[in-house]
Amino acid sequence: MGTEKGIIYDGYPSAEEIRQANGWPEEERWEKGPVAVVECVQQIPCNPCEGACPFHAIQIGNPITNTPRVDTEKCVGCGMCVAACPGLAIFVVDKSLGNGLAAVSFPFEYVPLPQKGDQVDALSRAGEFVCKAEVIKVMNPERNDHTPVITLAVPKEYADQVRTMRRLRLPEKGEGFHKAEKDEILDDDVIVCRCEEITAGEIRKAIREYKATTVTEVKRRVRAGMGLCQGRTCGKIVARMIAEETGKPMSEILGSTDRPPVRPVSFGELAADKEESDDERDNV
Amino acid sequence: MSGTMYKTFDVAVIGAGSIGSSVAYFNAKKGAQVVLIDAGDIAQSTSSRSDGNVLVCDKQPGFDAIFAKASQDMFPELSRELDYDLEWKQKGSLFLTETEEEFEIASKFCQDMKECGISMRMMDQKEIQDDEPLLAKDIYGGLETISDGSVYPIGLAYGLALGAEKKGAILSLHNRVTNIEKQEDAFRIETENGTILARNVVDACGVWAPAIGAMVGLPIPIRPRQGQILVSEQTFQVARRKVHEFGYMLTKFQSGSYRRPVSERVEKHGVAFVFEPTASHNFLIGSSRAFAGEDISSEIEVMKAMAERAIRFFPVIADIKVIRSYSGLRPYTPDHMPIVSGTPVEGFYIAAGHEGDGIGLAPITGKVMADMIAGEAPFMDLSPLRYDRFFSKEER
Repeated sequence: MGTEKGIIYDGYPSAEEIRQANGWPEEERWEKGPVAVVECVQQIPCNPCEGACPFHAIQIGNPITNTPRVDTEKCVGCGMCVAACPGLAIFVVDKSLGNGLAAVSFPFEYVPLPQKGDQVDALSRAGEFVCKAEVIKVMNPERNDHTPVITLAVPKEYADQVRTMRRLRLPEKGEGFHKAEKDEILDDDVIVCRCEEITAGEIRKAIREYKATTVTEVKRRVRAGMGLCQGRTCGKIVARMIAEETGKPMSEILGSTDRPPVRPVSFGELAADKEESDDERDNV
Repeated sequence: MSGTMYKTFDVAVIGAGSIGSSVAYFNAKKGAQVVLIDAGDIAQSTSSRSDGNVLVCDKQPGFDAIFAKASQDMFPELSRELDYDLEWKQKGSLFLTETEEEFEIASKFCQDMKECGISMRMMDQKEIQDDEPLLAKDIYGGLETISDGSVYPIGLAYGLALGAEKKGAILSLHNRVTNIEKQEDAFRIETENGTILARNVVDACGVWAPAIGAMVGLPIPIRPRQGQILVSEQTFQVARRKVHEFGYMLTKFQSGSYRRPVSERVEKHGVAFVFEPTASHNFLIGSSRAFAGEDISSEIEVMKAMAERAIRFFPVIADIKVIRSYSGLRPYTPDHMPIVSGTPVEGFYIAAGHEGDGIGLAPITGKVMADMIAGEAPFMDLSPLRYDRFFSKEER
């Protein structure tokens, strides 16, 4: 493809995708002080940010796959939503700092954490070096649930580019990731498939009583993964639960079948496309 | 189940789709010792890639319609009897006729169906608009079938299979049959997990029935006929019940000289508009027909044609989203009738070849197969379903 840009090609959203979603503040809001910037572009069934905001400034509504809309009048830039976002897609940017500087706050889940006053490498969404920057705040209270929030002071012209910092210690070759904590068994009343509101208990019942052995077999029995997101969110959790229940390794648990469309597309868009053409991938 | 089994079952049913599960259920209900064997899961193939229609409206007047009606009449009781929620809804169905010519063909069909006891009535333009207000305004007329309904197809197979288990049947899933040998007093069924002995065998493998038949030397003329479906997001009520175009009958039976006024891609892929609301507030859009071997990929050209045809009848569908497509294989026979029959191999039965009617015909197929194995007289003459109808007298 090469020329294609965006989250499904690069692993991070393009500037265009971010502006088309609902979370980019209006031009005049930036100068008024800190504000949440929600760079959530994928229409996944997810809403912890909505509940995390003490000012009810973030709205998702129905369906749950809507991307979050920020009421920038209500938003005070407190940053409660930053640690709450499972996708690490929310930032707080403050362009009112003065002295040609802006503050950019982002979630950062790598140890060791930096200290206030450290000089670090500020990186873009793509992980590329943008500029040197000073750490002006490190927030890691218990309610952040192991998602520290770091704030950097960067030259104002880089405020829209900087979204993270270089790790202070890179893993050794072949070292990979360490699990911070053990996977815990989900309580029966935890909702696993958010689109269809199927609980962990129902999924366990499908495995124990109805003999499901694959993600698809669970889906056929209790509908987990049949909803709007087609199992993109719950598929892995269901696989993990099958592994827990059956004692088989995760690698042996079959996932569900992927079927078009990649993202929901309207019947109208589908029908309007008269001939097989090169830009089909964009439509389906 | 593992290791060699020395017990001899009364009936081994091979294939745990809607048909095989029903055959297992009704045999177990009669007190037979039953084993239900499948290479995979319950409802793994055609029964989980279908829609949930339980129709008489798309049958041919005569035996076909009467047999289908007998099956349909079993659903209310079955849905009370089984523990699993079948999501049985009986709201009737509506055929749409796009042109005056189609309306005339449908009127004749309506008359013939009424003569064999099916409740149907023609509806004019105003009546169909009152019935389904979101219909395109220019649709000429319609044909209502009072008794039609729908179920959750996967639930039907589960309900029957688990119901059979509750009545003492053994479920032997994820256990592929590798060979069958007819011995003096029983069939010796070799499976991946060991040997199973049974006095009677029912081949309920649908599209794959020929492979099982071949193990006992029987040719079975069933071919896979692919069909694709689109699934909508959960949304408002577009139509209150099953709605499809009368042209569906023309694509199903490939008969008559009438040609629909449709686009090339609709014609080419045998696309006929079918709308089915589901209990979970999505709807399914079909239908297509193709002989494509065992290919069950979703083809973009077919998806486009089905979307186009759906919007033709319900313009409001244009703004609703498609969340998934899927494709399955109908077990097709040359005369569009299933094989529910004994065979020249004594004790070997076939219950397969229901094309797109396997969900609706599952209950009656299970019931007559149980009667047949028990040596009881059938409720009606079942000769149109005999295996040997495909062969000349000399071949029999």
